[in-house]
Amino acid sequence: MELTNYLNAMRDASGVPFYPVVFQFFLVLTFALHIMFVNFLLGGVVVSIWARIKATPNSLRLSKALARGSTINASLAMVLGVAPLLFVQVIYDPFWYTANSMSAYWAMAFLLILAVAFTASYVFYLSGSDKAPGASGWAVLALLALLAAAAVIHALSVEQLLPQMWKTWLISGQEVNASGKGLYAFEWHRFLHFIAPSIAMAGVYLMLYAWFFNGRKDYDRAYLQETATLGANLALYATAAQIAIGLWWLFSVPMEFAFYKNPFFLVGAGMGAAFFLFLMTARANPIKNAPVAALIAFLSIFLMSYAREALRMTYTGKVGYNIFDYKLSLDWGSTVLFLGTFVMGIVVMSYPILVAVQVAKNGKESNNEGLAKLATALPVVWFLVVAGLGIVISLKNGTLF
Amino acid sequence: MYPFWEVPVWTSGIFIALIATFHILPSHLATGAFWFNVFIERKALKENRPGLLDFIKRYTLMILIFCFVYGSLTGVGIWFAATVASPRSISALIHNYVWGWATEWVFFILEIVTIYIYYYTLDKVSPKTHMRIGWIYAWSAWISMIIITGILAFMLSSDSWIRTGGFFDGFFNSTYWPQLFSRTALMLGIAGLYAIISASGMENEKDRNDVIRSASIWGMAGMVFGGIFSAWFLYKMPEAAKGLGLSGGLPYLKNMLYAAVVCYALVFLYMLVAGLLRPQLAGKTLGILMLVVLFLGIGAGEGFREGVRRPYIISQFMYGNQIIAADVPAKAIKSEKELFKDGFLAHIYFVPDGLRTITPENEKAVGHIIARHQCGNCHTFDADGKMRALSGLFTRLGMTSKDDIAGWMDAMEGYAYMPPFLGSEEEKQAVAAFLASKMQK
Repeated sequence: MELTNYLNAMRDASGVPFYPVVFQFFLVLTFALHIMFVNFLLGGVVVSIWARIKATPNSLRLSKALARGSTINASLAMVLGVAPLLFVQVIYDPFWYTANSMSAYWAMAFLLILAVAFTASYVFYLSGSDKAPGASGWAVLALLALLAAAAVIHALSVEQLLPQMWKTWLISGQEVNASGKGLYAFEWHRFLHFIAPSIAMAGVYLMLYAWFFNGRKDYDRAYLQETATLGANLALYATAAQIAIGLWWLFSVPMEFAFYKNPFFLVGAGMGAAFFLFLMTARANPIKNAPVAALIAFLSIFLMSYAREALRMTYTGKVGYNIFDYKLSLDWGSTVLFLGTFVMGIVVMSYPILVAVQVAKNGKESNNEGLAKLATALPVVWFLVVAGLGIVISLKNGTLF
Repeated sequence: MYPFWEVPVWTSGIFIALIATFHILPSHLATGAFWFNVFIERKALKENRPGLLDFIKRYTLMILIFCFVYGSLTGVGIWFAATVASPRSISALIHNYVWGWATEWVFFILEIVTIYIYYYTLDKVSPKTHMRIGWIYAWSAWISMIIITGILAFMLSSDSWIRTGGFFDGFFNSTYWPQLFSRTALMLGIAGLYAIISASGMENEKDRNDVIRSASIWGMAGMVFGGIFSAWFLYKMPEAAKGLGLSGGLPYLKNMLYAAVVCYALVFLYMLVAGLLRPQLAGKTLGILMLVVLFLGIGAGEGFREGVRRPYIISQFMYGNQIIAADVPAKAIKSEKELFKDGFLAHIYFVPDGLRTITPENEKAVGHIIARHQCGNCHTFDADGKMRALSGLFTRLGMTSKDDIAGWMDAMEGYAYMPPFLGSEEEKQAVAAFLASKMQK
């Protein structure tokens, strides 16, 4: 059996319920959101360790704020990670399942390592006082665990890109390795390109933090200015490092791909360069420039995620796999269910977020009565519609009683 | 076939079983807890008892950490475990229910956003706003259960989906409603037990006892209705599942059901005595012990539900060994029974070149590869195996030779809970040779 035959034979017999390009878009979008919070988490832990060790009143305050933020970022990173995990299995299932099965114990260990990281983050935050987080050892443990988890998921991703190596890795003589203990691929440039943005995004996070609390009486102006300046510098220097690592990675990609000419790459890299140039000027007033910096940073992540996806398509295309010729089993009903819920979710979510922002910025909520009623009613309406649909279908199919 | 992950002694399924069973606790707590939370918050406002808000803070923090760290991790963990232990089955579920899962994901995001804001805005926003945020959480969390129950129930009773391939036909299947109702009741039972544990540390005795009493009533009601709806579920199970689970087809399944009932009864009694009647008896140690009992009960109940699906992992559609068992014309899916009958080895990619042709010298090695894919999801091979070890089974049956085992494989289709062996005669002999070699150790 040839590799291309294997890959196409392993595609799921059910096909995909909607056009692959839509799954690809949601894969990239949700991955970008996920990785943004991963960056906030990882970079935030690094800065909080530094600030905890520095141990000035301002740095301890910052460390505590970052420790609290880490627990929230961890939860958001994890939940946002569910969606790309889902969509990658829809359109790249032969690659995903093969790589994970080959390294099964590592896939399991990934979760255990994350549990250690998240537990240590919580202990670091909760074990301290009002003015400082707990012992920095907990944050160091969290950092090491997060790096280990990143290394595992990175290796699993690279394994997926090298299907021509799979047999070499698994078969030795007359033996097929079914132990699931091997981890077979690691690329430093790609790994560092995944890790370095964490520092840059932690810088953006600090700028946003200073911007958000700017004007509050209980936040000292000098403290916020110091934090924002630190953030802008971190973002700038880490982005410079990121560009250098990106070039290193680019030259390691097989020349036959001509990836340096790929339009997705060019747009993504252009946005990264624009971010760097903006930061150079934004440093003069990092508090004021924080929202624009955050917007450009997210666009850079999003576009680079698309470039990453374009690279994956190039790799998989070389072995005869194309997501766009996946068997289509169109299912409009469930597609509408998701898209409708997605839009509804954004509306509902906007209400508690608006309240939280108002309270954090002004110390009290404003009048949001209309949105409040809508956000509270929409989940009930969703339930009534779906339950009604369910009853009708169950009666039609004779499955209710 | 994907590369096979062979876990000695226990099989890879043990990872799914452990993670999924644990996940039930935080996931059901996450879905049930806020109905009780907003009830108590409303009571605090209505009766002007700010002391009750102390409970809200404690209870919410516990939910935050337990559900949104360990619950979320184990939720993702089930996917990862299924990915490595049974990739074709999770793939089949995802390719049919991806939009269902994606819809559930929207509610996950809502849950996580609202619970953090709920926790951090207590005393900082008006009570009405705070309760509204609580309500959004409660509905979102319960809706996530409404969705996942459809996919779980589909695995047991795919019903007309086999004919139509329709998302909703498979989703609203014959065991959907009983499972949704019993899980909803059970989530209130679990939330009640957690609330008792959480409230037992409250300082104000009146507030403490009031919360514990209320939690007990919620919990006991959850247990009672959970029992009633579980009976409905048993009634609605497919006939084949009833045969296995209730009529003695596989006697251990019935024992699991009894174990679940005993565990739930113990928890009910605890809530009655140390919750409703004598709330001062409620404490963390006994409460956590009861949590362990509940965990065992849930494990037994879920084990029963999983067990009665045999020989399928997805009802009528896919066998436990990940082979497609039926046509689904609406999706142009063909059963693989015919395809594999004349030769299974050719459909495995990860085979050494020297094992592509079966010879007397290599037949055990080839047999091992085929046995992994056709038997290894449920059975271990070695004598020290704890999970349905085939060497132990054949020893008990007195079948120790290659011919005996090959004969038994011919008869497998006669067992309602076993998928048939699919492969050529030569491949069957190779598998028999491999299994017989395990007997001689």
